[in-house]
Order: sequence, then structure tokens, then C-alpha cells
Amino acid sequence: MIASVAFRNFKALRSTSLTLSPFNLVIGPNGSGKTSLIQAILQLRTLARLPLRDAHAEAERRPEGAEITFRFQPPHDGLEASLSCVSDKMCDLLQIIPLTTGEGVDDWAGLKARLFTVRSYLFDHEAIAVPSPSKDQGELAANGGNLAPVLDARRRNHPEAFARLTAELFRILPEYDEIDFIELPGGVMDLKLRIADENEWLISRSLSQGTLYVLALLALVFDPAPPAIVCIEELDRGVHPRMLREMRDLLYRLSYPKETGADNTPVQVIATTHSPYLLDLFRDHPEEVVITEKHGATARFTRLDECADLTNVLSSGSLGDLWFSGVIGGVPEDK
Amino acid sequence: MKLAVLSESPADEAAIAVLVEAVLKRKFTRVQPSLRARGWPSVAQVLPSIIRHLHFNTDADGLVVVVDSDDSVVHTAPHEAPEYYHPMCRMCQLRAIFRQTMKKLPPAHGRDRVLRGVGIAVPAVEAWYLCGLEETVTEANWIAGQEAQQSPYTRRELKARTYGTERPTLQQETEIAVREARRHAHDTRRLEYDFPGFAALAKDLRAWPQIG
Repeated sequence: MIASVAFRNFKALRSTSLTLSPFNLVIGPNGSGKTSLIQAILQLRTLARLPLRDAHAEAERRPEGAEITFRFQPPHDGLEASLSCVSDKMCDLLQIIPLTTGEGVDDWAGLKARLFTVRSYLFDHEAIAVPSPSKDQGELAANGGNLAPVLDARRRNHPEAFARLTAELFRILPEYDEIDFIELPGGVMDLKLRIADENEWLISRSLSQGTLYVLALLALVFDPAPPAIVCIEELDRGVHPRMLREMRDLLYRLSYPKETGADNTPVQVIATTHSPYLLDLFRDHPEEVVITEKHGATARFTRLDECADLTNVLSSGSLGDLWFSGVIGGVPEDK
Repeated sequence: MKLAVLSESPADEAAIAVLVEAVLKRKFTRVQPSLRARGWPSVAQVLPSIIRHLHFNTDADGLVVVVDSDDSVVHTAPHEAPEYYHPMCRMCQLRAIFRQTMKKLPPAHGRDRVLRGVGIAVPAVEAWYLCGLEETVTEANWIAGQEAQQSPYTRRELKARTYGTERPTLQQETEIAVREARRHAHDTRRLEYDFPGFAALAKDLRAWPQIG
């Protein structure tokens, strides 16, 4: 979907650019621009909903202000989207620039429709565990808070997708063998899982963080109307290191559906992590790893496959250990 | 017989179990929880602790360790000479770790030591799964490639050829790994011939005393 993003003076991202793959795992120290990347994409989604700014706004644009430039994959590689600031507090000038080559020059409407579907998540087990309004059945909320009504609606409206989701859930977490939903007083809903081989049900408040996160991720992966881009912060959160392979596999189903036997439209995934164990899983795919670096107040992006002498570097240790050691970058600066 | 298997993934573990049973010509029970390593050099780092744990805290009869050679020096016949040790060969390193760790251990659970089974998949375990299906995938070809400084295939290519994709799910990987291991289980001679790193494991296993 998004082919590349170039930043100028956007928070710590003073001058850096990044080519995006179908799947992108972003690693780096705190405050190095991982979340800023996601925020920039969300800002593009927000501004795409609004009418494009008048041409005279261009004259108001501050030359030294923040600017973020997006390029896209076919069928919209003939368009460039540029976000820039007209004042210190207003970064809301979106310009769509036709390029001299590429497809979709006249299809801003089509691109816009895809951008509307961009979603970003930072799952919160506390929010998921609180029963949520039964009517809140639309998109999964950014914190996963409405997971129960979303899944309940999925079960009723898309039984096949729901069956695939539950089959995968019980394969990954074989300690459970049934899921159900409970209408509670006050028009709110909760979910519950049955412990396999026992007639005991656990409501969401009694489920582990990791179980709730896996459920939320499954809700995304088996969405019958998947978004164009999914951003997930702290993918490894609450999940045992040995379960991370399953999490990666689930997201690969989104990004590379054909390779994994799924039939959905490819979804571009941008995930962040601080887990060396998750990073270990990308040893054979360095092109999918984005490293953010921060030097002083300036941050920049590099891709792992751009590291000099990568083959030799990888031969000496696990990728996660190499990251922690500082050999591949993406570590906090010493004070 | 109770064995522990140290491998890099549940898929590898499932396939290795099939191969070990084929060589031993008997079923075994696995020590729980299953052991897992994060790849080299983590295997070498955790192995002494694992050996000590199995020796003192479990009734395991043996430990099977299989790791990928990646681009390291491949274990060859000269390495088998008495007192020979190649510091860049993973087989030499793992055997040395077993030797050094076990020589300090007093008997426990009615046995002197946990039996050792070490295999090195050159360059990756997927090469074992392709053995007999792709003539060019052999340990000898890999070594020839190393000498000519031109690898005949990459780990990534081996994965794609084995699983039909560079990004198999764990489920796909396990199904195919076990299927190919079962193919070899009927007759392991081809795998032993083409992959001395597997033959070394088979030799270790066959040298074990009859237990149970």
C-alpha cells in the first residue's frame, strides 16, 4: 500500500526516509520515532477524510516546517501525498501530487478509500476485560476494548470467518475449546472461554493478558473486511516468547496471504516491538526489519538489510542478541 | 526410554523425534517441558545448564541436540581424530561441551550420565527434508560451495523449496517436516550418506546401551 515515507522536521525525524515492505517490524529505543511513523500514517488517514486544502494554503506553508511525503504501491504509484505544516500547531496541509510515471494519477478517490481503512492498535487487556456496549460492533477499537461485541457480531454475520478464527484460537491455545458471549445488564457484553475437558468457563476478566491479546489479534487477522494497513504497537506484549512465532505467523497471514494459504486481500503490517525474541524470528527476512536510531534529538530509519556485512554479523549470534549488543544499532544512547 | 530433544522450533523437534525413533527402532517418551534454543550461539550457552538439569532433576536417559551449521565450518572426517577440536565446528564444540560438563557430574537417578546424541544439519535442517528429493542438496555440495566461496543454495532458498514458501506457518512447517522425516524413517541410509551430520547423530544413538 505505502511504498515509502520521507520525513522532514517531524518531531525527532529531522531528515530520514523509509521504504516499506508488506510486513515491517520496527525496533529501536524509546523516543526514536517508532510511534511517530504510525502517527504520520494516521494523520494521513485523518486528512484524507477532509477536503484537500486550497491552493493558497501552499503559500502559507512554512518552508522550515514539518513535511511528510508518502509514495504508494501500484495501483497508486502515480500519486504522492505530502503532509506539511502551515503553523507551529497545524500540520494539516495535505497535497496530492501527480507524478510523471506510475498508475492511478487520477484516482485520489480510490487511494483515499483505501486510506480510510488504515487502523492502529495498542491492545490494552484492562480495556478488553471490561464488558463493553453490545451495540459497539463495528471496527475493533484501537485498544481492543469492544472485542466481545465485535466477535459476537462476527459469529452472527460471518460464521465462516468466525469458525476459522475459533479453530485457530483453539489450536494456538489448546487449553480452551469453546467461546461464548454474555449479555449483561446495562446493555454491555462480555466474552468467555471454556477450559478444555472441563465444564468451567472463564470470563474475560479471568483470562490472562496474553489470551486476550491473542484473541484481539485473531479478530484482526480474520476480519472479513480487512484494512489496507494495520499498525500494531508492542506486538509482543503479554505473550510468552515461545508464542511469538504464532503471533508472527498470524500477521504474515495478513501481509502474505497467498504464501500462508489464506485468501484475504494483502494487508500492509507495521508492528513495533522491544522483544529480542520476536526479532529472532526475522533472521531470514532482514528486509522486514526497520531499525530506528536516535542520536541526540535526531532520529532516523534504516532497514536491517542495509546493514554493512550483514551475513557475517548474523553468523555470530541470534538477531535478538545482536540487537541488544548494539551491533545492528537501534539501542539507547549512553548518557 | 525417556529422552530430551533440544532444537530450535517445535517443527524441528517433531521431525527429529521421528528420525531418532527410526534410528533407535523404538518409541521414546519426551521429557517435559520441551527444550528450545534460540539458535546458535544460544545452544552452546544453555547446553551445560540443560545437561546438568537433565542429569540431576529428571530421569532422562539421553539428550538429543540438533542445530543448523549455518555458515560455520562443517564437521568432516579429520575432525574425528582423537584429541582433534576445531573451534569453528559446531559438532566439535557441542561434543566438547557434553564432555566437559558431564565429567564433573556425580551419578544421579541411577545412571552415570545422560546419553549424548548430537546432529548438525548442514546448512539447515530443511536440507535433511529435501534429501532424496533434490539431488544437489547434500552436505558434500555445501562444502564444495564453501570452498569455492559460492554457496549452492541459501537457507532461505532451502526453506522455500521445502515448504513452498519463504514464510511457512508453524503448522505448515511441522506438517512438512514430519512428513519428510517419516519418508526417511523407512530407511535412513540415504540421509546418513548424504548428510554425515545426521550420520553422526545416528552413530551416537546406535552406540547407546539398551535401556528399559
